[in-house]
Amino acid sequence: MKRPTISSWLLPAIAGAVLVAAWYLLKAAGGIPSYVLPSPGEILAAAWHERRTLLASILVTGRGAVLGFVLAVGGGFLLSLVMAFSFRLKRSLYPYILMLQMTPVIILAPIFVLWLGQGLPAIVAVTFMICFFPVVANTTMGFLSVDRGWREVFTICRASRWQEIRYLRVPAAMPYFLTGMKIAGTLAPIGAITGDFLAGTQQNGVGGIGFMTIAYFSQLKIPALFATGLTACLLGFLFVGGVSLLHWLILHRWHESVAGKE
Amino acid sequence: MRGKGGFNNQIMDSAPIVRCSGVGKRFGNGPPVLEGIELAAQPGDFISLIGPSGCGKSTLLRLIAGLTPVTGGRILPEARRAREGVFVVFQDANLLPWRRVAANVELPLMLRGDPPASRRERVREMLGLVGLAEAARKFPWQLSGGMKMRVSIARALSVQPRLLLLDEPFGALDEMTRDRLNEDLLAIRARDPFTAFFVTHSVAEAVFLSNRVVVLSANPGRIAREITVPFSYPRPPELRETPEFLALLAETSHALRSVLPR
Repeated sequence: MKRPTISSWLLPAIAGAVLVAAWYLLKAAGGIPSYVLPSPGEILAAAWHERRTLLASILVTGRGAVLGFVLAVGGGFLLSLVMAFSFRLKRSLYPYILMLQMTPVIILAPIFVLWLGQGLPAIVAVTFMICFFPVVANTTMGFLSVDRGWREVFTICRASRWQEIRYLRVPAAMPYFLTGMKIAGTLAPIGAITGDFLAGTQQNGVGGIGFMTIAYFSQLKIPALFATGLTACLLGFLFVGGVSLLHWLILHRWHESVAGKE
Repeated sequence: MRGKGGFNNQIMDSAPIVRCSGVGKRFGNGPPVLEGIELAAQPGDFISLIGPSGCGKSTLLRLIAGLTPVTGGRILPEARRAREGVFVVFQDANLLPWRRVAANVELPLMLRGDPPASRRERVREMLGLVGLAEAARKFPWQLSGGMKMRVSIARALSVQPRLLLLDEPFGALDEMTRDRLNEDLLAIRARDPFTAFFVTHSVAEAVFLSNRVVVLSANPGRIAREITVPFSYPRPPELRETPEFLALLAETSHALRSVLPR
C-alpha cells in the first residue's frame, strides 16, 4: 500500500477546519437558531447523547444493507454468468433489467411493503434493487471482454466450455465484478437507509437510521437529526472500507489497479 | 525416453506431420489472403515463413493451428476445433496475469487432465529447460518481455506437441535478446525435439533457426520460393559470422526483395 505522506492527512484536516470555522461564522453572523442550523459542536454533543440509539440504528440498518448487498452481489454474479454464455438470454433479459433500474426505488418500496410488510424483508428488497444493476452491468461486461489471445490459448488447449469459464472467464472478469461490487457497496447503505425510511419499524424506540431520521424530525430534535447524517456516513465508510479490502485481497497479487504498488 | 509418437519414431515413418494442399483463405467476401498453398512439414522440420507484411503468413499459421477454417483446399489432419497435438506461441506471450509462472506453464497440462504429481514434475523440468527455475513463483507482471516469451515457450512445450507454431515470438524484443532466445530455442529443441513453423520478419533469424525457409509473396499470399538451409544442428552462435551463412542470408534477402511489391 502507498505510504501516507504528511499532505495526505494534513490537507484534508486543514480543509475540515476551514469548513467548521465557516459554519460557526455563518451561524453567528446570520443569527441562525440551533433548531434550523445547529453548530458542529451541538451535533457532536447530540451524537454523544444519543450514542446508544445511533449505534443500535447502525446495526439495524447495517444488517439490511449487508443482506441486500450480499444477495445482489451473488445474484448479480450468477445472472451475469448465465447471460454471458447465452447471447439470446442476454438479449431477452437486459431491457427488463434496465427497466427495473430505471424505476425509482421510491416507487418500488411501497410495493415491497405491500408484499413483504414493514420491516427487514422490505428493506433488504430495496437494497437489493439498488445494488443489483451495477453488479450485473459490470460483471457481464467482464465476462464478455476477455482478451482474444487468452481465449486462443484455451482453444489451442482444446479446453471444454466449463474449463474456459472456470479458469479463464471468471478470473478475467474479477476486476469488473469487483468494480461493480464497489459501486454496489456505496449504494447499499443508501438503499438500506431509504428502505428503512419507507418501511422501517422500531423496537423499544430504536429503529434503523432512516427510521430515526423521521423520529428525530417529528420530535424536533434537530441536532440529533443532523447526527443521523454523521451516523449514515460512518456506516457508508465501514461498507466501502470492507469492499475495498476485499478488492485488494483478491487482486493485489496480479492486477494493474493494485499490483506492484507496494 | 519418450512415449508413443516420440520424435525419433516420427523420423522413422515419413508421413508428414501436417500437409497443406491447395490451401486458400479469404475473410468474408474480401479478396483472397492466401491461395494455392502446397506445404508439408516432415517430422523434425523447422520451417520459417517470411514475406512482406500482409502476405498472410500469420494467417497460414492460424489455419494450420485450426484457429480459423480454410476456405479452399485442405489441411491434413482435419481439425474439429483446434488441431490436436499442435501448440502455438503467439507474438504476445498471452500469459494469464492471475496465475504464477509455474501455474501458467501448468495450464495446458491441467486442462487436459494430467495428474497433479506428473504436472508438477513436468513444470519443473520445463522451467529448467527455459532457464527460469527461479521465477516459478513470480507473476507475469514481474517479468521482462524476454522472460515472458520463455514462459510462453515452456507452456507450449509442456504438452510435447507434435507441431509447434511460432508467430513472430521474438518480434517485440531487442536484437540481443532475440539472438539469445534463438540460440536457446535451438538448445531446447536439441533436448526436447519438436517440429516447427516459425513466422518472422527477420531473414537472419529465419536462416539461423530453420532447415527450410519458405518465402511468401503478397496479394494473394502464395509460396514464391523455398530455400533449403544446409547447416546441421546443433548450430553454434558463431555460425552467423561464417561466409556460408552470410551468403545464404544474402540469397534469402534477395529472394524476399524480389517478391516485395514495387
